[in-house]
Amino acid sequence: MLSKVFATIAVVITGGILLYGVSDFPGFGDPHSPANAGVPGQASISQYFITESYGDTKVPNIVTSVLADYRGYDTMFETVVIFAAGMAIFAILRVVGDDSERKPRRKQESSFTNGDHSRIIIGTTCRLLVPVIQLFALYVIAHGHHSPGGGFQGGVILAASFIIIALAENLNSALKRLSETNYLKIACIGILIYAGFGVMCQVLESDFLDYGVLQPILMTDGPEMARSHSMLGVEIGVAFTVTAIMFAIYANLSSRGLLRDGL
Amino acid sequence: MKSWNKSKPAILMADQLPAILVLAPLFGAMIIGLAGTKDHKICFPITLASLLVTLVVAVAAAHQVFEHGPIDYFVGGWKEPIGIGIHLHIDSLNVLLLCAIAVVAVLVSFFSIRRIGDKNTEKTPHFYTLYLLLCVGLFGITIAGDAFNLFVLIEVSSLTSYGLIAMGSSKRGAFAAFNYVLMGTVGASFYLLGVGYLYLKTGTLNMVNIRDILSTQPEIAASRAVSIAFLFILVGIWIKMAFFPLYGWLPNAYSYCPSSSACLLAPLMTKVSVYVMIRVMVSVFGLEWVFASPGWSNLVVWLAVIAIVAGSVLAMAQREIKKMLCYLIVAEVGYMVGGAWLADEGLWGLTGALYHILADAAMTLCLFLAAGIFAKRFGAKKITELEGLFKEAPWTAVGFVVGALAMIGVPPTCGFFSKFYLIRGGIDAGHWEYVVALLLSSLINAVLFFRIFEIAYFGNKPAEGHAHAHDDEPAETALPSSEIPTWTGVFPLLVTAAIIILLGIFNGEIVAMIRVVLEDLPNLASRL
Repeated sequence: MLSKVFATIAVVITGGILLYGVSDFPGFGDPHSPANAGVPGQASISQYFITESYGDTKVPNIVTSVLADYRGYDTMFETVVIFAAGMAIFAILRVVGDDSERKPRRKQESSFTNGDHSRIIIGTTCRLLVPVIQLFALYVIAHGHHSPGGGFQGGVILAASFIIIALAENLNSALKRLSETNYLKIACIGILIYAGFGVMCQVLESDFLDYGVLQPILMTDGPEMARSHSMLGVEIGVAFTVTAIMFAIYANLSSRGLLRDGL
Repeated sequence: MKSWNKSKPAILMADQLPAILVLAPLFGAMIIGLAGTKDHKICFPITLASLLVTLVVAVAAAHQVFEHGPIDYFVGGWKEPIGIGIHLHIDSLNVLLLCAIAVVAVLVSFFSIRRIGDKNTEKTPHFYTLYLLLCVGLFGITIAGDAFNLFVLIEVSSLTSYGLIAMGSSKRGAFAAFNYVLMGTVGASFYLLGVGYLYLKTGTLNMVNIRDILSTQPEIAASRAVSIAFLFILVGIWIKMAFFPLYGWLPNAYSYCPSSSACLLAPLMTKVSVYVMIRVMVSVFGLEWVFASPGWSNLVVWLAVIAIVAGSVLAMAQREIKKMLCYLIVAEVGYMVGGAWLADEGLWGLTGALYHILADAAMTLCLFLAAGIFAKRFGAKKITELEGLFKEAPWTAVGFVVGALAMIGVPPTCGFFSKFYLIRGGIDAGHWEYVVALLLSSLINAVLFFRIFEIAYFGNKPAEGHAHAHDDEPAETALPSSEIPTWTGVFPLLVTAAIIILLGIFNGEIVAMIRVVLEDLPNLASRL
């Protein structure tokens, strides 16, 4: 009870200070605010992105060009954050090396044949849905630099398609399609793709993630298109990691690290 | 990765140092993730190889910084206009910390060796992946020149450290990690809120750029939102470094986790957070702005005084060795925060704090390694269980004594010289309460450690029989000492002890290196 009183006091003080600061903010949507127009005497970064990013990268989606090119280093580590979160969860939850635990608790039957009619409806619906979800996920990944979307969003949608299989049938049928060894590999390969694009630039004697120099390898006309294609490449890397880790986190959490039965 | 490193011409390598620093452990972690689950034997060699690469790179960076000046690296080549890309920066403020991180990581990796096939080794690849990713995070934090990039890497290092703490099979470790997750998330969110407020007022995330704006636009620098941004960034980092009222997560997290995790986290996490605080004060807001109102710096110094006294007193009340060391960390964080905020004319307090980051990393590593060896080999976790162990393990005893003497502040160890610089700053600034707290804490440390020496040296109860006292704590029951080669613990311990003494002997040179950057800062030249 006392701790709740203290917590309330702390929250009220923190909120009060934050609100006190809000009164000092530029107006909402103010085109002359520092974030939009820069401070006097300094080049505005937002203006630069709005006016120059298409010329620099030939990517119409400014968000993607900032995310995957100008601040690509951040995004690489965001992917590493997701990977690290997944690794931490496996390290804590996963039960390995105990053979008695491996045996399934109950007999594994396909839910389509065991006479459970409500499962037939769910199973068939999911079977119809999954390809559509996956196709949409691939579209979101592949079209991320032209429209809203990208590797993180597409990866989550793709992982959702595996999770829906695990929910509708059971965890094993999902793991048959994406096994533990495979999802660990896919997660690592995703980050290696991203970092690999960066290191390739270094090999071609430029800075890390300076995609422009990849022009001869990607055979594009001009370094701008090389940037655009590389962004697609790193988005695919992000999607690999996100898909694998999201599904793996679900699989480990839902089965308490045993990777069988599931919910 | 490593093969092309060697084939590249030397000139180009030098330009790429900051990137290689984070990439080598990142690639190492990925290789372990790909191949390590099949064959646990390759995990340790890959870890050691990638950490040795970072050590070489860190030393090369130090050479370059002191020969040719600071290294600026623009990821993706996005240099102009400043702030559009991400800026990595190595100068004399952080280059020594980079070396320290690399040295600690290499030494602890030896300590983490376990025989394949032992109990609880099936998660070896997970451990080493998290270990290397933690190093990626720490290196990345240290070289970041961008306020948001700093946040991303704080997340990398925090998430991996939660995993490393919870990995042991002890329930208390998992619970401590959960507490740490909650506190750490609050800390990171506070930092992010502060950066958000700062971005709203300045429109940039680049540290150099923010400082330019704050020093040339007085109305922005004086605005409420910027002050609140600073407050939130500061409190967020304080949570991460376990500054006194916000230290609750630390003692349990570092004492109930596996020994190798504790040895890596205890010397590095808090110290890197202290560096972040100093970096934010020096390079983002500027010391003029930070020290503009003496009331605030007095308040922080008083908080530090409370932290020092409380940490020391609480350490006296502990019966477990690691818990005691954890409370000493709380006191040491008080040293560094107080030193950084002394605001004396010659900036000796700040210098002492920066030197103490290195010294404390070495001292904490030394003591935690010794405590880890005592726990691993003899099952001794409580202070009373150390009886007679100095005779059983004489080399470990040497390391422990050197670490303890440094903690007390006996010359020629580094602990003496860092206290010397901090006290000099305290006297210059007229903060006598801080000086008294430092001396009091040294006295308490002396009492604490001489009590341990007495028990461990003169106590003659045999070490047997303690091993079964911890049935409720299966994390590290004593293994027969033959199972783990002794040198894996003693070698890093003795190297650390040597570093403690070397840091002390060469304190003049190191302080001169640290002060290079303080003299470089244009608006500080007048102060010095």
